[in-house]
Amino acid sequence: MAGRNGPARDGSSGKGLRVVGRPAVKVDAYSKCIGQTKFADDITLPRMLYTKMLRSTVPHARIVRIDTSKVKNYPGVKAVLLGKDLPTRYGIMPVSQDEQVLATDKVRMVGDPIAAVAAVDEDVATEALDLFEVEYELLPAIASIQEALDVSEPRIHEYGEYGNVHRRIAYEFGNVEEGFAEADFVREDITFYEGSTHLPLEQHASVAQYSHDGKVTLWSSTQNPHYLHRVLAKVLDIPASHIRVIGTPCGGGFGGKCDPFNHEVAVCKLAMMTGRPVKICLTREEVFYCHRGRHPVLMATKTGYKKDGSITAMHHRTFLDGGAYGGHGIASTYYTGVLQTTTYKMPHYKFDGVRVFTNKAPCGPKRGHGTPQPRFAQEVQMDKIAEHLGLDPAEMRQQQLVEPNSLTANWLPIGTINLGRCIDKVVEGSRWKERFRKMPYGKGLGLACSAYMTGAGTAIYWNPMPHSGVQLKLDRSGGVCVFCGSTEIGQGSESVLAYIVAEVLGIEPIDIRVVNADTDLTPVDLGSYSSRVTLMTGNAAIEAAERAKEIIARAVAEKLEVPEDRLEFADRRVFDLEDPEKGMSFVEAVQLAEAKFGTLGTTGSYTPPKTPGKFKGSAAGPSPTYSYCAAVAEVEVNPETGIVVVPRMWLAHDGGQSINPVLVMGQVEGSVYMGLGEALMEEMTYRGNRNVVHKFPSFLEYKSPTTLEMCDVISYLIEEPDPAGPFGAKEAGQGPLLPVPPAIANAVYDAVGVRIDEVPITPDKVLKAIRAKAKGQEGRYGPAVFPHCAMPAPILVPTPQQGGDGRAVVREPAIAQR
Amino acid sequence: MLLTDIELHEAATLEQASELMGRYAPDVRLLAGGTDLLVDLRTGRFSTCHLVSINRIGALRGIAATDKGVRIGTLTTPNQMASSPIIREQFAAVLDATRDMAAPQIRNMATVGGNIACGVPSGDLPPILMVMNASVILWSLSGEREVPLDRFFLGPRQTVRRTDEILTQIFVPYPPRRCGAAYERFALREANACAVAGVAASLLFEEHNIVRDARICLGAVAPTPKLVKLAGTLLLGKAADEQAISQAAEAAMEASEPISDIRGSADYRREVVGILTRRALLRARQRALGENS
Repeated sequence: MAGRNGPARDGSSGKGLRVVGRPAVKVDAYSKCIGQTKFADDITLPRMLYTKMLRSTVPHARIVRIDTSKVKNYPGVKAVLLGKDLPTRYGIMPVSQDEQVLATDKVRMVGDPIAAVAAVDEDVATEALDLFEVEYELLPAIASIQEALDVSEPRIHEYGEYGNVHRRIAYEFGNVEEGFAEADFVREDITFYEGSTHLPLEQHASVAQYSHDGKVTLWSSTQNPHYLHRVLAKVLDIPASHIRVIGTPCGGGFGGKCDPFNHEVAVCKLAMMTGRPVKICLTREEVFYCHRGRHPVLMATKTGYKKDGSITAMHHRTFLDGGAYGGHGIASTYYTGVLQTTTYKMPHYKFDGVRVFTNKAPCGPKRGHGTPQPRFAQEVQMDKIAEHLGLDPAEMRQQQLVEPNSLTANWLPIGTINLGRCIDKVVEGSRWKERFRKMPYGKGLGLACSAYMTGAGTAIYWNPMPHSGVQLKLDRSGGVCVFCGSTEIGQGSESVLAYIVAEVLGIEPIDIRVVNADTDLTPVDLGSYSSRVTLMTGNAAIEAAERAKEIIARAVAEKLEVPEDRLEFADRRVFDLEDPEKGMSFVEAVQLAEAKFGTLGTTGSYTPPKTPGKFKGSAAGPSPTYSYCAAVAEVEVNPETGIVVVPRMWLAHDGGQSINPVLVMGQVEGSVYMGLGEALMEEMTYRGNRNVVHKFPSFLEYKSPTTLEMCDVISYLIEEPDPAGPFGAKEAGQGPLLPVPPAIANAVYDAVGVRIDEVPITPDKVLKAIRAKAKGQEGRYGPAVFPHCAMPAPILVPTPQQGGDGRAVVREPAIAQR
Repeated sequence: MLLTDIELHEAATLEQASELMGRYAPDVRLLAGGTDLLVDLRTGRFSTCHLVSINRIGALRGIAATDKGVRIGTLTTPNQMASSPIIREQFAAVLDATRDMAAPQIRNMATVGGNIACGVPSGDLPPILMVMNASVILWSLSGEREVPLDRFFLGPRQTVRRTDEILTQIFVPYPPRRCGAAYERFALREANACAVAGVAASLLFEEHNIVRDARICLGAVAPTPKLVKLAGTLLLGKAADEQAISQAAEAAMEASEPISDIRGSADYRREVVGILTRRALLRARQRALGENS
């Protein structure tokens, strides 16, 4: 099978390319395999202290008193840090500055840090935590979306819309009522997508060092050194130029190491207080409470459609259970709606999103950030629509695909789209036409599609500067060093830089050294999030490498007396295309250039194109281009126990030209794995009583698939180069997760005829639905009620089809209704 | 709590273990495989200042066949049991439990004695050993006593073992001819998952395939592993046919006392008990009568 022996590839892959498009070893593979890679927790410095944080044991309370007297006198304790020492509020998004390093006045969740100690070793630090005396005045805890809507006092935060509603957003593109009126049918489905967490194998760790000239260095397992750098400057109140953040290789990120974390600031401050290096490594339980993972999202999706399956309008509504802090949450709220228009033609689209605060670990970005939930709602509904119309779900989708190089109703700029070919591949591979709706009871196939951004079109804080920068240093050794702020989280960001620069300069990846994620040494890259790294750093690297090539070519052209444009860079040589014998080694060429021009260095940068939408909030969703996926899941449902087993999945990914197809396949398979867990078992759930503690912050009881549950994956790479990407590459890291849960839900329906309208699809839900169906009731498990929340009048934006100019309709200021 | 706060004492003999246990009582616990205990200490379920390890007492390890049955040393691991020829030949049903519990790493570390003595309701070995009429040997300085397994458990993590006693052996009698047993479990994933429910069954047939003795034991759905006497009685004197098996499964569901917890709702677990009882009885019948599956 293709999935076993390398991906089946389809497209104009690798034509004329020597490095790009070929399977290659990752540049960091050997050091990781033999244990040379230094992760943050491997760093040990002389006289280093260890930090532990005192964390709240209650979900919501005012802090009446903290007594630290016993702690300070405990042998081995060198410093105690309290909230008042670092009171400045911060958060990754400028609009959600609601976090503190340590709580000053109240705690908002179990696990909220209250104090930190630095001690001579980890055991002493842990023992010291028992010596704190904290007196709380308990406040009622809010544990669900409904409670957050119902209970306006006490407020978890003093900002936001009102009560415990963090943010409401409402948009209407076109006119959905008009669209519904044109429809032959209108249906609304209520679905729920449970929260889940990233589960990186590496627990978060940081080491801070302070030098007496006032400079701070922080090594940390972060995906976003740049945003962390900004937060450190703000909260520590020292110039950013005096702070150096070094992103250590992440042992898994998946979005869980995107936010700046309180412990990262705390160790810096403790290093400043003690003058000694300070380390922290979170426990697994602490990682569960750091969270920032998948939001639980309750959705109502109302869709108008015609007899041929074409969509006339959609009104999609979401409620997000945000947890205790803002974090990326407002972006997440947008993402639960903005990409619904990117796969199937949709002339009118309306979206309402509401994020609430609850006293639970804060949610945020997890692989697919905010989009797997609405994609689940949409793709399960598409399956129901096809069933209702008596159409094949694959063929019906094929008829409705958005056009390449078009604008969606909500002004997203579609680039290349090969979703049709993706569908063809998985239909063929799974023998869909022979097997769908024809398999014996208990076995089934389901199909779903998806789209995902290749990098967010705007930075998290507004600024006109590039999103990614690359510097090249070349010298007489012939060595090329690539400097870039991007972070290696296992996805291959270092390797991509080496492949691309090698491709342009005609040398091998092994000839290149990559230095990354160091705010002192490397130019800014915004970080490893939103599937932006390959496209943005790749384009910046091409620019830097082309500039270096130009300098070298000038020197070589003069020496060989051939025109510059006749020079070829390949096989570690620079030579005359018309007379390949005439040339020199790359090393000699660099020496010539260094002699002629002096020290060699070039830079490149990348800024995404301006977004076509010009309305408030149009920054969420636009991307230089989008990846597409289609998936077919095969399931076996045991009708006695209700357990669902997925023996195999077929997944076709339109990711443009692969820079390294093996890494792309790794991302596809990893996404299937993560999607499988979300579909079948993963749940970030809390005890139902007022205590709101996590039910199972451990690898044993937080059920995630093992190798025994992992399915066979047959992957197909569709490689039409996209003009926006470096050598035509699009994203691969997140998009392939999206179709997995709905494909499985649709396959469960094919197998046993019941609809499970929420994930995870656990055995008890399946059995309940089977039993209900046997009794003549609706064979469905899922939410039946959608809460009410008054929404502000939507921002009304005429669509491109309607001749809009990307601006919202100006009208009287909307009055937010309570 | 910090494991470094705990003092570890390694006993070379049972007498020494007993002496150490007495010296540090009540702030002491016995350590065998540690796969439950160390996790519980680390997460704060228990705290203790002293651990007395019995892992160096070689006599507590290994499996010996006797005239009447097999004696399993308390330190024997599930994987050692699974690879023992005598267990494989004479007590195949025990393999149902050793094969599916936890994960390979745990099956190499955990001990049979620990799986029983910890008294966790979801333990996989007690149900199958109970229907096979196993007993445990409790040793103390004042002597040994043998306790049938069905009288060993008192409640969740509570057993009749006194604090001065050490569970040293498990005795399992040879099953009579025309007797078959089986253990069926259901968990939320295939490895590293405690049972949502487990059911062990044994059937002894007379000539003409009439049931002379039937035992059914439930795991993970009551405060202790629970023998369902009624389910057994319903099968007596009958062929273990579809109707009798259904009645027994109903009785097992009735007798179960599941709670709703992280592994499933009480209703769902009761459903699963019925399914597993049926499966266990069918497999036990197959084994007893040499039927082909």
